Amino acid sequence: MKNSATSAEPAARGAWLGRLAGRSRKSAYAAGRQAVSRRRFGSADLLTVLAGLAVSFLAACALLPGWIAPYSPTEMNTAAILQGPSSAHLFGTDYFGRDVFSLVVYGTRDSLLIGVSSVIVGVLLGGTLGSLAGYVGGRLDAAIMRIMDVLLTIPGILLALTIAAALGPGLRNIVLAIAISSVPGYARVMRGQIMAIRGRGYVFASRALGTKPSDVLLRHVLPNSAAPLLVMATLGLGSSILAGAGLSFLGLGVLKEIPDWGALLSQGRGYLTVAWWICTFPGLTITLFVLSVNLIGDRWRDAVDPKRKGR
Amino acid sequence: MYGDTTDKSLSKASIGRKRFNWSYAFGALALALTTALAGCGPADGGKSAQAASGTTAASAPVQGGELTYALATSPDTLDPRRSGLAVSVRVFGALYDTLLIRSADGSLGPSLATEWKASDDGLSYTLKLRDDVKFQDGTPFDAEAVKFNFDSIIDPETKAANALALLRPYKSSEVVDEHTIKLNLEKPSEAFLGNLSQGMLSIVSPTAAKKEGEDFGKHPVGTGPFKFASWTENADIKLERNPDYAWGSAEASNAGAAYLDALTFKIVPEEATRIGGVQSGQVLAAETVPPQNVVALKNDPNAQLLQTNTIGFPYTLFFNLEHKPWNELKARQAVQYAVDIDSIVKTLYLGTYEQAWSSITPGILGYDESLEGKIKPDVAKANALLDELGWVKGADGIRVKDGQKLTLHYVDGSPNREKRNDIAAMIREQLKAVGIETEVEITQDVATVVYQNWDYDLYGNSQVNSDPNGLVSFYHSTKEGERRTLSGLSDPQVDEWLDQGATEKDEAKRAELYKKVQQYISDQALILPVYVFPYTVAAGKSVQGLKFDPFGYPIFNDVYLQK
Repeated sequence: MKNSATSAEPAARGAWLGRLAGRSRKSAYAAGRQAVSRRRFGSADLLTVLAGLAVSFLAACALLPGWIAPYSPTEMNTAAILQGPSSAHLFGTDYFGRDVFSLVVYGTRDSLLIGVSSVIVGVLLGGTLGSLAGYVGGRLDAAIMRIMDVLLTIPGILLALTIAAALGPGLRNIVLAIAISSVPGYARVMRGQIMAIRGRGYVFASRALGTKPSDVLLRHVLPNSAAPLLVMATLGLGSSILAGAGLSFLGLGVLKEIPDWGALLSQGRGYLTVAWWICTFPGLTITLFVLSVNLIGDRWRDAVDPKRKGR
Repeated sequence: MYGDTTDKSLSKASIGRKRFNWSYAFGALALALTTALAGCGPADGGKSAQAASGTTAASAPVQGGELTYALATSPDTLDPRRSGLAVSVRVFGALYDTLLIRSADGSLGPSLATEWKASDDGLSYTLKLRDDVKFQDGTPFDAEAVKFNFDSIIDPETKAANALALLRPYKSSEVVDEHTIKLNLEKPSEAFLGNLSQGMLSIVSPTAAKKEGEDFGKHPVGTGPFKFASWTENADIKLERNPDYAWGSAEASNAGAAYLDALTFKIVPEEATRIGGVQSGQVLAAETVPPQNVVALKNDPNAQLLQTNTIGFPYTLFFNLEHKPWNELKARQAVQYAVDIDSIVKTLYLGTYEQAWSSITPGILGYDESLEGKIKPDVAKANALLDELGWVKGADGIRVKDGQKLTLHYVDGSPNREKRNDIAAMIREQLKAVGIETEVEITQDVATVVYQNWDYDLYGNSQVNSDPNGLVSFYHSTKEGERRTLSGLSDPQVDEWLDQGATEKDEAKRAELYKKVQQYISDQALILPVYVFPYTVAAGKSVQGLKFDPFGYPIFNDVYLQK
């Protein structure tokens, strides 16, 4: 059992002895990271940089929308409704006469809030359940994982829809719905990871030295199991934003003064044939964000995945 | 009453709709992308096609063909006695006939009944019936059939819906002879005769109704120009020509059997799909065209746009008079002055809807034209009124009194029918300018929030109706145990006018009474009338002869398809 993991990770072979001594697995990857940084700056890196810039810009929109948006998102200029993109209105105006660019900028905050907080809640819940199941094992493992299996049989978005419908409308409930629907995925990955790490030599060594089981879990097992989960969370951010947009697209709850991206899509879709810009720009913004986050997530996964080292 | 029940049924269909919308979210995204990539707006052929407001009878009608007519929502039942939805009435017109009809000029005309006479005390009506009419199942139409219909509506076991409200104060029927019937009322009612022209009081076949019982709504049999063929839930309702039909009323020019072989109603809730279906030729006609598509359709050489204003009670926002501070006249007036309905209607409906000015629409007896243009938006006046009441603007621009913020709880239903949610968004902006904070709640469960908890300061409703007597259901005080009205008004003077109006035989005097009611409602700022709903239909160029009755319901007997 001790060697099974290492044989699948030839790159980490050099650190094998170090691990036996209880050192963190991180050092095993140090070499891999250096390999990436030593490589020539390629097109994939350029894409990652661009994606990083896009994400930073949208983060800035969420934090300081007033600095970026040229108009107030609630100002209804009824003299200028349904105007196409122009220098005055970069993304055109909607049917209230609001500036679509300003709406997209201000809408970033709620959209990102839904995405980020649902991922955080999902990772915390899923991670905890997965760790417990994986580390404690036995009946607890069986109980938790059977529940997760049941949840996994329901498509994520359907689950989120059902939860949102049951909890009722509202930003917090949308976050909860998306978070809960993502829990089984995180739990499974975490459990698998914990079970693999649990059997490592350095964990045995630590136990043999008389460390408390909780300390072993917190200091050795968890830190070495977390990386895949974090990568998964980054990738999940994109789909959470998409799911959040989808749920708020349904337009339930308190009518918000500043609609998020999903609500903007929903408001604009009836006008697609006469004013394509109302729907298109929020849609493209969602695409841009999800794409950027996925690109960054992919790169990160490659960087921490020893199997892909050297490619 | 149609308005209320529509909301309910929509909430029932919520789950199905949600799933649909979800897939649409991606659809919209994909579409948004493709449109952006193609980099084009709607193609404009540049040909100026005529904007038709009614199909023109260009040539002699052609026999044959099938008309596909896309409905925005599904009928609840095809049993007129048990239905609560306006959309069902659109189908009833093809399946059934009513005893009387209402002509375009507002007068009553003969249909299944040829003559009618009221008794001197107003407590009974004697109707002579046609003797050449048969139901689609072969049952002869006679006085017994009418008696069966009306008696079954007031029978609690039938669980009649809107028909019951329309038939009241009906008490009993006497069959005078085979084709003469005397209808007795509990108390005189001037609205009664007119209500007999409403589709919800269509006459159903007694044989089939007895045989099918509760299932009659799935196997309807009437006397109309089309007979029922099949109904696939949430997909379509198929009707076939009734070849024996020979008793068409004056509302259609064709009194004989229909020109069409078949009439199929398709249920297409998504408006873009529905209207797109006409442009692509998948359906021949589609109802409720969104304003933004009206202009494009008028310029489309392959389509025509038909439009008719509905009568009854316009889309109206009701103040809840039982909630503070909106029980105060000045507070309501401040809102009345702060809200610019003209700008809302023009912005959202792009000139396709007319602004409403009173509690009833033009075309209803007693409509008060003097109210048109009477209330003009005036932000200064609104501010002055709120200052007078002691509401002072706080740091965030919202007025405060005794530590309480000035808020207005505005409730509206989902989905966004006729852009009503958008009206809420605009009103919120306009009220913010005078320091009122509007909390807009969008709910799928209007039945609970509004009609059970009465948890709103402002809520909007509309109703298709033919008689001003319907004002009773909005403004008459209610007794203990009765369901309260949307306004919650309780004023003995208004009650008196409404009670007199229900029985007054002199039409001029009756109109005067209802004018007084309308003026009172306007002076007391009880409501914000918003728009008169036009029923719009987009149709292919081949569709000829499609007309509408004054309620906005389609008449299919003259329709033919130009080859």
